[in-house]
Formats: sequence, C-alpha cells, structure tokens
Amino acid sequence: MKLLTHNMLTSHVKGVTKGYPLLIKATEVKVNEVEFNPEFVSRMIPKLEWSALVQAAEGLGHLHELPAELTPDYEKNEEFLKKAHRVLLEVEVIEGCLQCPESGREFPISRGIPNMLLNEDEV
Amino acid sequence: MSNQGAVTLGPQTEAIITVTIGATVPTGFEHTAADEVKEKIGVEARISRDRGRIYFQITTDQLFQVHLLRSVDNLFVVVDEYEHYQFKDTKEETLLDLQQLASKLPWTNALEVWKLNNSLKKKRSRRKGGNGTKVKPDSEAMDAGMAEAEQQQPPQPLSSESQAKEESTPELETIAQEPEESAPEAKLIKFRVTCSRAGDKHSFSSNEAARDFGGAVQEFFQWKADMTKFDIEVLLNIHNQEVVIGIALTEESLHRRTITHFGPTTLRSTLCYGMLRLCKPQASDIILDPMCGTGAIPLEGALEFHNSFYIAGDNNDMAVSRTLNNICHIQKRREDKGSVPGLRIDTVQWDLCHLPVRTSSVDIIVTDMPFGKRMGSKKKNWDLYPSCLREMARVCRPGSGKAVLLTQDKKCFSKALSRMGGLWRKLHTVWVNVGGLHAAVYLLKRTGAMFGQTPEDVHEPQGMANTPEDEK
Repeated sequence: MKLLTHNMLTSHVKGVTKGYPLLIKATEVKVNEVEFNPEFVSRMIPKLEWSALVQAAEGLGHLHELPAELTPDYEKNEEFLKKAHRVLLEVEVIEGCLQCPESGREFPISRGIPNMLLNEDEV
Repeated sequence: MSNQGAVTLGPQTEAIITVTIGATVPTGFEHTAADEVKEKIGVEARISRDRGRIYFQITTDQLFQVHLLRSVDNLFVVVDEYEHYQFKDTKEETLLDLQQLASKLPWTNALEVWKLNNSLKKKRSRRKGGNGTKVKPDSEAMDAGMAEAEQQQPPQPLSSESQAKEESTPELETIAQEPEESAPEAKLIKFRVTCSRAGDKHSFSSNEAARDFGGAVQEFFQWKADMTKFDIEVLLNIHNQEVVIGIALTEESLHRRTITHFGPTTLRSTLCYGMLRLCKPQASDIILDPMCGTGAIPLEGALEFHNSFYIAGDNNDMAVSRTLNNICHIQKRREDKGSVPGLRIDTVQWDLCHLPVRTSSVDIIVTDMPFGKRMGSKKKNWDLYPSCLREMARVCRPGSGKAVLLTQDKKCFSKALSRMGGLWRKLHTVWVNVGGLHAAVYLLKRTGAMFGQTPEDVHEPQGMANTPEDEK
C-alpha cells in the first residue's frame, strides 16, 4: 500500500464520523523505485490531505525532512517534489494493518493489499 | 480502386515504400483507434464500413511504431482493395474470377512489408524465430481456406504465465534494417488463406472463396498450403461489395499482452485501452477501478496513461491476488529490461457498495460491470447497479469527475442511471462486442451537485424490485 493510496482511504464502519485518517501499524515496509515526474507530484498535492501524509510518513520512519507545512511555490521546488514523490509513491506498507481512529477496528494489510471488507454487522 | 505503392529510395540501400495497413480493433472503438493512430503515427485513419477495421497509410520505416499501437488487435498489409467489386452472376463465374484475380494482384510491396515485418518480429520475440516442429501438411493440399467471419475472438480464459507474449517497449529496441537471412525463394514458403465474408448477396461461401482463391495463389507462387504451420497468412475480406486482400502481420491476437494471470472474465487489453482513451486521463488524475477482476484496466492505464494514479479494487480474494500477481509480473519484466519498475498503481480489497474512500476524491472511475451472464446475475444487477452508481457518485469529484462503465445489462443500467440524473449525466455510449456478447460502454460525467443533497442520495436507493427482470 502506497501512502498516496492511504491518503485516500477512510474507515467506513457504521456510525463512525471521524474515520480519517486511518492509523498505520506496519510490520514490513519496502521502498520501491518509481520514475520521478515533477508535474505529477505538484498537481497531486492539492488533492491530498497534507497533514495526514506527513503523519503517516513519520509513523513509518520515512519522513526524511518532508515539511509539515506546504510552502508557497512548492511547485517549483524540485528538492521538495522529490521528497514528496518518494513518500507518496515509493514507500510501501507490505504487512501490517490500518486502524480506524474512532472505532479501533483494524483492517489487515497483507502482501501490500489492505483488506477493507467489513463484516455484515459493521455495515 | 487499386493500391499501387509508391517506391522511393531512402538513404539506406533498402527502398522505403508507402503501403496501406489494415488493423482490426474492438468494434465500437474504431474512432479511438483512429485517434491513437493520428497521435502516434501522425496519419489519418480511414474507418471501414466493415466494423472493427481501420486503414491508414505508412512508410515502411514506421512499421515498428505501428506494432506499438495499443488499440489494435491484429495488423495486416493491404495487397489491394476494391470498394465496389463487381461479382459475377453465378457462383462458378465468381469463383473463377477470384482465381484469376490472384495472379493480377500487386503482391510485390505487400510481400516486402511482410519480409520486413518478419525481421522485426525476430528482434522483438524472446523465442527463437519461426515454428518449432514440422507438422505433416494437410493431405488435401487444395484446402487452403478457412474461417467464416469471426474477427473478434473472445479472450482465452486459461493461460499459464509462460504464454505471456513478450513485446517490446520503446526504450528497448532500435531496429536496424537488415537484409533477410534467407530469401523466400531459397526455402519453401507455406501459406494459408483466411476468408471472412459478410453480406447477403453473395453466391458463394467463405470456404469456397478461400479454397479457390487459395488454390490460385498456390499455383501462382508455387507455395505450399499449410493450415497450421504457415509462414504467410493471406487474408481475403469480403464485406458486401468491399473486397480487401491482405497479408497478416500479426500471428495471434495482441490482446493477451499485459495479463498473465487470467480470471473468468478478463478483458482484452485493446478494449481496456479503448475505454481509458475514452475518458482521457490527465496528469495526476486519481483513477479507480472498483471491480477490477484481474486488474486488466488499471494495469493498462498504469502502462499507457502513466501520469495518473490507479487504485484497483475488488471484493474477491482471488481477484485481488491475481491483480497483484499481474502487477508484479509486469514490474519484474520492466526491471529485467532495465526500466524503472515501479508503476503508479495500488490494490485494495473492498466492497464496491461501501467504498472506503474519501468523498469527492476520485477523478475517474473506469470499470467492467458484472454482466449477469458471465458473472453475477440479472436479478442481482437490479440491486447492484443503483448502489454502485450511488457510491461511485459519492467518491467521484463533482463537476469534473467522469466514469467509463462497461456493461452488457444495458436495460438495467439505463434504468438505474435514469434515476441518478442529479448525480450523473450520460455523455456518450459506445456499442461494443465482448466475447460475442453485445455490450455498451457508457461515458458519464459527474454533475456539480454535492453528494448528500440530491433526492437520490438522501435516501437509500430502493432496489428496483417492482420491475422484475427475467433471469436469462
């Protein structure tokens, strides 16, 4: 699971109103190379919840000086974009789980795939 | 109308000739294929009245690029084409006429292209060139024909990993034009004729045409007829009064390119490509396939429209596992070829009616919806489609979001869609043929309405139980 994906995922357990962001508990993390495209990163940033991304990266120990706040003109800052690229696309959670911040319900991650299926009583 | 290729001598010793290439494409996607040709080859493509075919002119130095087109299933070089072929009145006369045609056709340029194509294939394929064991040829040597029309082959459901055909990527090959190692005259050429015929005014069958035409071709060239281990496949396409004679440049359908781990309803990649092209993915678009099956669509996207981000999801264990395997296979192959392996794609296991995705966060949804014949059931679709459309509307970005949805259950889908006018607007419908089933691809635009404010989504959707549909 890439952190870009994690940024989009939310808990949908019945009754939960604050299901985002999901907490990551990782037991295995990998870094895989993905080709850098600055336009991709800069156009993606407005679609993200930046603080959730920073929090997730930090929790995995992969923050690497990614700033907590976005600076104006980040689109032109290649250093920054490269760091964002790495955190968004290259860091992957292979094993672990995602936890709903409100209900505590855990969704397992196996082989990099989070299983977000709910039981019948949770829907 | 005859197609005489112009011959111009290029800087190399080999002449560069202009020829017409024919390509078979998924029916319904002729225009998107023509678009791709315009974009990548830079020429206008003509869409044939014979559905599922486009034609365009190239110079032979462009042949390599033609093989990189993602919307075409099969390629052939045109020997000659007639828009209004004058068939004779009786069957005997017509067949005799076809026989005589064989020796009058301008074969030269097409055969040059066939030769060039072979040398390209040898460089592309990891397997040793040519066929393996020699098979005893059919004793009925005159039986060189085959095939009533079935141009769109359904995807092969079972395939082991080793069958994955390797194809080149632009960064790998620089093709130098080498002379053929052995001239065709030096070894015996084996051929077959494939005839496809459509139209109700013909006095003959495709088998008869193939047989007689094939016989004349054999006489003319002194080639050997062989149904299975042929070097040259001559195509005789007859569509009402349109007759096209060609030589095949692809030996099997290109559609098994990306997927190695198949599922029961895996879509061929030309169809996936067509669907993606329809929604015009932009840089940084977030693209979901909430019923991804084996991941064919998002994988095609991650390869061909790679500036977007793809999330492939399914509720089924096998599906997500196969999706992951397919992704890993492609990444490994990229790594082996020296490319940066990582693709902008991820896999999640989820329930599409309860997507664990933030509201209004997705730019495009592209998916193949359960058909009711190959998967699911018509009755289930009555309940599934409204829930689907609603949940997809929720996650899709209002105003700019789009959806491209393939379904065979057009009645059910249309009905479900008609109740979602506040959230979805239909932009375009493409009528397609998927494995013999008549299906439709709907291009939808997400309206500007925020979710939770239109009547459709304030209440849970009623299943459409009061208008039951017979399960077929």
